[in-house]
Formats: sequence, structure tokens, C-alpha cells
Amino acid sequence: MTDFKKIEENLKTESRRLLKEGLVTVVLAYGKGFDENHPMPYAAKTIADVDSIVFNEYCNYNMARYLVRYPQGTKIAIAVKAADSRAVIQLIQEEKVKRENLVILGIPVQGMKNPKTGEVIDSKTTCGMYNPVLYDILLGEEVHGVKSASPYDVLAEYEKMDKDARWEFWKGQLDKCIRCYACRKACPMCYCDPCFIDQSKPKWADKEPQSPGNMMYHLTRFHHLAGRCIDCGECSRACPVDIPLYLFHKKVAKECEEMFNQQAGMSIEDKPVLVDFRVEDSDKILE
Amino acid sequence: MLKKIAIEKISQLAAVLMEKGTLLAPVKEVSGHNFAEIKDPKQVDLDFYNTIMSPKGAFFPHKEDFVKYKIGKPLSEVEPAVLNLKPAFLFGVRPCDVKSFEIMDIHFDAAGIIDPYWRFRREATTIFGYAYDLSQPVDSADFYNTLGIYAADPEGSDIFMVKKDKELLLKAITKKGENLLPELTVLKDGITADEKYFTEYVNKGKEYKTRFMTLDQEVVAKKLEDIFDNTDFWTKMSAACLSCGICTFVCPTCYCFDICDDTLFGKGTRRRVWDACMFTDFTLEASGHNPRTQVYQRLRQKICHKYSYHIRKYGVISCVGCGRCTRHCPVNIDIYSIVEAALKA
Amino acid sequence: MSNNNPYIPMPVQISKIINEVDTNDIKTFRFTFLNKEDEQNFKYMPGQFAELSIYGKGESPIGIASSPTDPGYVEFTVSRAGTIVPGLVTAALHDMNEGAQIGLRGPLGNPWPIEFLEKKNIVMASGGFAFTTLRSLINYMLHKDNRNRFGEITLIYGARNPGLLLYKDELAAWEKRDDIKSFITVDKGDDTWSGRQGNVPAVCKEVAPSPKNTVAVICGPPIMNKFTQPVFFDLGFSKENILTSLEMRMKCGIGKCGRCNVGYKYVCSDGPVFSLAELEELPRDF
Repeated sequence: MTDFKKIEENLKTESRRLLKEGLVTVVLAYGKGFDENHPMPYAAKTIADVDSIVFNEYCNYNMARYLVRYPQGTKIAIAVKAADSRAVIQLIQEEKVKRENLVILGIPVQGMKNPKTGEVIDSKTTCGMYNPVLYDILLGEEVHGVKSASPYDVLAEYEKMDKDARWEFWKGQLDKCIRCYACRKACPMCYCDPCFIDQSKPKWADKEPQSPGNMMYHLTRFHHLAGRCIDCGECSRACPVDIPLYLFHKKVAKECEEMFNQQAGMSIEDKPVLVDFRVEDSDKILE
Repeated sequence: MLKKIAIEKISQLAAVLMEKGTLLAPVKEVSGHNFAEIKDPKQVDLDFYNTIMSPKGAFFPHKEDFVKYKIGKPLSEVEPAVLNLKPAFLFGVRPCDVKSFEIMDIHFDAAGIIDPYWRFRREATTIFGYAYDLSQPVDSADFYNTLGIYAADPEGSDIFMVKKDKELLLKAITKKGENLLPELTVLKDGITADEKYFTEYVNKGKEYKTRFMTLDQEVVAKKLEDIFDNTDFWTKMSAACLSCGICTFVCPTCYCFDICDDTLFGKGTRRRVWDACMFTDFTLEASGHNPRTQVYQRLRQKICHKYSYHIRKYGVISCVGCGRCTRHCPVNIDIYSIVEAALKA
Repeated sequence: MSNNNPYIPMPVQISKIINEVDTNDIKTFRFTFLNKEDEQNFKYMPGQFAELSIYGKGESPIGIASSPTDPGYVEFTVSRAGTIVPGLVTAALHDMNEGAQIGLRGPLGNPWPIEFLEKKNIVMASGGFAFTTLRSLINYMLHKDNRNRFGEITLIYGARNPGLLLYKDELAAWEKRDDIKSFITVDKGDDTWSGRQGNVPAVCKEVAPSPKNTVAVICGPPIMNKFTQPVFFDLGFSKENILTSLEMRMKCGIGKCGRCNVGYKYVCSDGPVFSLAELEELPRDF
């Protein structure tokens, strides 16, 4: 199992070093919350700040979400777990950050938990990988020999539903939405300003939490993330009414992978599938 | 007057209340409990800690229709929404949430302009307060003691309920409660031992401790005014903030709203909808000017509004320490910790 | 359809539309009430505002440009918003013709403090489109029943160019009167312009009104306010004797929706009129 304490130690040591040597101006990691089970996303800017860095099984946050808050060119160190590293890669692909401005602190980990339920979420709501895809410094032993479940396994039940059943399922789920927008705010790929849903001309949907507007918001957001979602599960974790948003994202990711033979955020050499035309691309989408 | 009923028979009480009017009570949903209008008496479920959404929606629903209109028709054809003024029963409200209604009353009745929707609903509703279960551990996010509220405070409820083993004791607190209680014929009369238990329970509630800090209203209001321009402090406090609206939506004392016109095929509704000061476009003016473009400015607005501006304007802190904002924040931002840090800043 | 619900507007009809500027994006709309009762209940004073309400588009808070001394109607000068944030209401209003009906909620907010201004000299410095509620104040003060309640009245009003001056006929009429001193200026004149050139702060400096028993009302675009306020401080005006009107995004207009606060004050219900002394007490959050 993952030695969380050891990773925390390494994270602190590397953060101190990077800040001390002036290689970065900020370290995006995890900090103390109001108690041990509630750590927070944290930005350490001084060596003294590093003392408050923590790492435990509740540090689900995808720190890539905070990268776009800093002006282009800021030297940033970022702590990433497997899915988080894919978000960083995707952001590099989308030219939101530059590789050379980042020091990526990779955290191989298994056994991350949902703080509300205590349940292990590795492949259920996230991409199921244990090791970061891209890093400069590795803060723990890579996880090998552990059979990881496919991120698409949780789709089994969902895929048994026919078209009408799926529609009913999503209608029921999305009716719960209170339009707090935590999903898009927690999402590392939702960086549009303003988000389409906040525009008044054209006004894409009503503001109140009821069916047509909720559908418009979520279905559009799902499709904006097609081929870009790196399956970190943060949207679902942030949702106060537990809408299983990850199911839709995973389903789209699976379709994308089948059609274009590419997963989001796996290589900085890739282009996002939907902006990259290849002659051999599947025509299934047009059928 | 004290009455009682076996908890397993709670649906019978629910059925009686449903005959008399609209019943709003905690219902178990996938992600937790919430207040909902009861359609089937069996839905009522008192086995909860506290609801996800606060009960403010009973008086200030997420969306409230003002009028229905038709595009291109004379204004005389506009139809104002009709409020359902059936008596309503808000059942199973925790003491801290009960307190929130008084705070909201001040605002919605302020300056001689009475918000008709809040007022009508408030007057039509009888509140059944419900003490926290003192045998269960307190949630680490709660801090209502700081705001002078205790786990079994009957104040503000019309009828206050405590759990005694497998029974529910109901005591009338206000005239409204006194009048209603005898009409609820499914209830049995309480005996002297029940009276004693009730009184002791209320007192024991004072020993049931949440997080606590000594808070002098005047001091905190002043302190937040003083550190308004301390951008470093606010930037640090808001470093994790995603600027979503969860904290304001689950909050029992947040009342900001937007007024929206929703039109489809020439017919529309003007209504108010909850809004949140954490949203970027909340203060975006038609000129393009926006005084709060940064996350830290918006979080500062929220904290200062509750713990400074509200004191200056209405004489009370706009917070009851229910802990919902902390509990549901996707990044664990804790308002209590921010106020604590502000006092030390 | 008179009602006691502060959220439901009363019906009014556009009885007159005046195109104020040569760019055609500022118009004055005159409204008459469809119900006599509403007209009687709509008791306002200069400096107040109202929500113009168009179902399907929304509501927009606009200062009242007419004076209560002109009964029977109420006027609003409306700029077509929308270069950055699409102004749905103002655009719809600009596309309407005389005879059309809209809704009106108000009067809202606090007026210019007439009692405080009484027996004092009044200096008004204003620029461009922000002049509307001062026009209301001037017409109120110049009315024969009111004129002797106030001391000397001075107006310094400017626009970027002659075509952008509002209420051109009234400006001309005021220049001919001897009970108001008016200094109309443009940043840059054109062939037709024989008047003064120079920006408002510069003209204020030149006119140099005495602070003695005088209240200054500064109401212009933010950049004008920024450079005009120091001029008045230099002239010896105290912050208690400089008044202004604030703008914030508003929705309800009655202090309920929580949107327009600056510190503990709601601009809609505690303002929009503030003295600089009052503003100094509030955080810089606008």
C-alpha cells in the first residue's frame, strides 16, 4: 500500500528545495484543512508555507485546476496523481500552460478515498491508474503488479440501459442539479471565461434549477469535454447532490477511445482528438 | 403542553398534518436528507443529522414565480403568481436552522419594504423544531455554539421536539403551537416524567459542544473592516476557493437572488432565482465594469457580508454555525477558520 | 393593475421619445401611467431611480430625468448598453416606438438631499450621460415655487463633443437665464461649436466656485469623478459637502436581492446618493 507519510515528507522536501533555489514561485499541493480528514488545495509560495503541506488519502483535489489562475510564464511546481498528470498534459496540449514552466511532482498512489463515504475510489470515479503519466520528480515508489480495474468497468450497468432508459436516468439525475456550478469549477478542463451558460446574448439556458436548463448546461458541458476529460472524477466529487457525472464522461471517453484510438491527456505530443483530423479516423460519429 | 408519539408511528402524525395543509419534512435521498413536500406520509424520516440543503427553501424557494406574461400582449394580461396560502408545517428543523429564520426575517422585512413571498409563507407555516440527537457525536464542521445556539434550544420553534428512546416528545412553545398541538389527535398526552425529560434534555443540550470561539460581534465587524484591504490575507484564504456556489446555496442565511425572465414560444415567467456572490457575473455591470473579478474579492464579500456588513446593517451576524458551507465545500474551505484567522490577522 | 407587491411593475406607455445625441444611442423616454392610481402613488424626488421592466427581457435600473414639478409623466434618459455586456432591456427599449407599453417599478432609492441643499449654493459638475438625475434636480430647483429655497446655482457640464451633450434645448435655455450660471463645455468642439472647450475638471478649476455655504454635486463617468473630486478638495470643499451618485449592478432595487452592496450599504436602498464622507466609511468595493 501507499506510504502516505513518506510521500508527504518527499513533497515537503522537494517543495522547500524548489522554492529555495528559486526554480518555482509557487508549489501547488495539498495543505492542512480544519481537521485531518479535510485537507485543502494549497499554494505554497514561501519556504515557511511548506510546513502546512500534507498528503493523505483524502487529497483528491486535481491541482491542475489551479494552473490557469497564474499568468502565463509563472514557474509552477505542481503535485499530481495519475489523473492529475493527465490534466496537466491535456492543458499543455491545449496550450494553456507550457511544459517548460512546470516542475511536475509525480505521486504514485493507490487507495484514495471519498471523504464523504470513506470508499476507495481509484477506478470507480477516476481513471483507475496509479502512476502519473508525466513527471519530473517522483515522490514515491511506482505502483506495479497491482491489477488495476478498467476505468470503464463501472459503465457495465449503465450500458445495459437502452436509449429510453438512459434518457430517463439522466433526466432523473440532472433534475437534482441545483446549478451551483461546482462541477465546472472543480474541472481542470473547464477554463472558459465566460462559460457559455453565463452568457446573456445568446442566452443558452434559464438560470433556475429545472429540467430544460439543467439539461442544456450538463449535456453541453459533457460534449465540450468530449475527448478532453481525463477522468479525475473531481466533478462528481464536488457535486453536493451526488450526480454521477463521471458516468457520462467515462462513456464519452470510451467512445472516443474506440473511435480515435486515443485517450485524453496521455502524451504532450498528441492533439485533442476533436481538433485533430486524421484520414483513418472513424466515421461512426456521422452514422 | 407536552404530547408524545412513538417514532414508529410518525407517519400517522405526518398524515394528520397533511390533511391540515402542506407538510415539509426531511426525506432520505441518495446523497442524504433534504426537506421536501411530503406526498406519502411514510417518506418522513427523522433519522438524520442535518439536511444537505437548509430549510430556508420553505420560505424562500430556489425559484419563486412573480408573474406569467405573454410577449406582444398588453400588460393587463400579465398574471401574477398566486401563492398557495394553505397552512404549512415545517417538520424537524434543527435549532440552529430555526434561528436562521429570525435572521432572515430582519432582512426580508427591512426598511419598511416587506418581501411578500417570504412574509406570506412565514406566517402560514408552523415550525416543528427538533433537537439534535445528543447521543450521537457532533459533526466536526458545526460551530453553532459560537453563535450562542445550543443543540436543543426550543426558542424560535412553534413546537419543539426531542427524542426519548423510541418516542418523540412534542412541546408547544408559541401560541401557534399551543393552538395546533391539541388538534393533532394521534398524539398522546405526556406524563410528568416526560416533562422532566424534556426540560433536562434542553439543559443537556448546552453541554453538547460544537467548535467554539469567543466572538464579540463588534470586534469581528470592526476587524473585518480593518483588514478589508489586506489583499495578502484574502488571497491566502481564497487560494483553494473554486468560486462555485455551493456554500451560498446550502446556507440557511444567504438570501441573494437574481430576477430572470424565461420565455419560450412567446410565453414566459418572471421569477426570482437564488444567486451567489461567488459567481463571477454576480456584479458584472452593463457597462462591462465588474468590481469583483477576483476570487479573493468574492470570498471576502461573502465573509464580510456575514460577519461585518450584516452586523452593521441589522445588528446580527448572518450565520448560525450549522456547518453546511464547510461540510459541502468541495475544497474544505471552512468559514469558522477564516473568521478565526481574520481575528488574528 | 395596481398592486402592493414591490416586485411587480405598473404599466406605463411611451408618450414621447427624444433622440438626445447624434450617435443615436441615448434617448429620452417619456412615460405616462396607464392607471391614474399608479400616477398618484409614484411620488418621487430628483435623484431617485426606477426599474424599467420589459417582460421577456428583464429590468434595468435607470435614474429619473424629469422633475416632479412636471406632473403627468415621468422621463428616463436611457443609453443603449451593450458594447461589452449585452443590455437586453435598453436595447429593446431603444427599438420601441411611441405608444408602446412597458412596466415601471419605483420610485426607488434616496433622492438628492433637498433639505440639506436648501438655503445653500449648489455647484453641479457633470459629464456625458451621467447628467440625467441632475437635470431633474436643476428643473426642480429652477421651478418658480422652489427657486428661492436655494442660493446660487452653478452648472458645469461637459461631453466629449457637442453632439454628445444631453438636453441641448434646455442647456440653451439655462444659459439665457440669470438664476443659474451654466458652463457648458466639450472636450473637443467642431465647426458648429462656438462655446467652451476643455474637460470638466479643468473648467471647475477655472470657475473656482467658493466652498462657502456651498454643496458640490459631482456626477459623471468614473474617470471624470476621479479628476474632479480633487479640484473641489483643493477649492476647500469638505467631503461632507461633496455629493455623488453611485452605480452598481442591481436587480430588485429595494434592498432585498443582495447584489449592490458596498460594505454594509445597499446602493439601491441606502443610496444611490452618498456624500464623499459617507463613501469614505465604506470599503472600496465598487
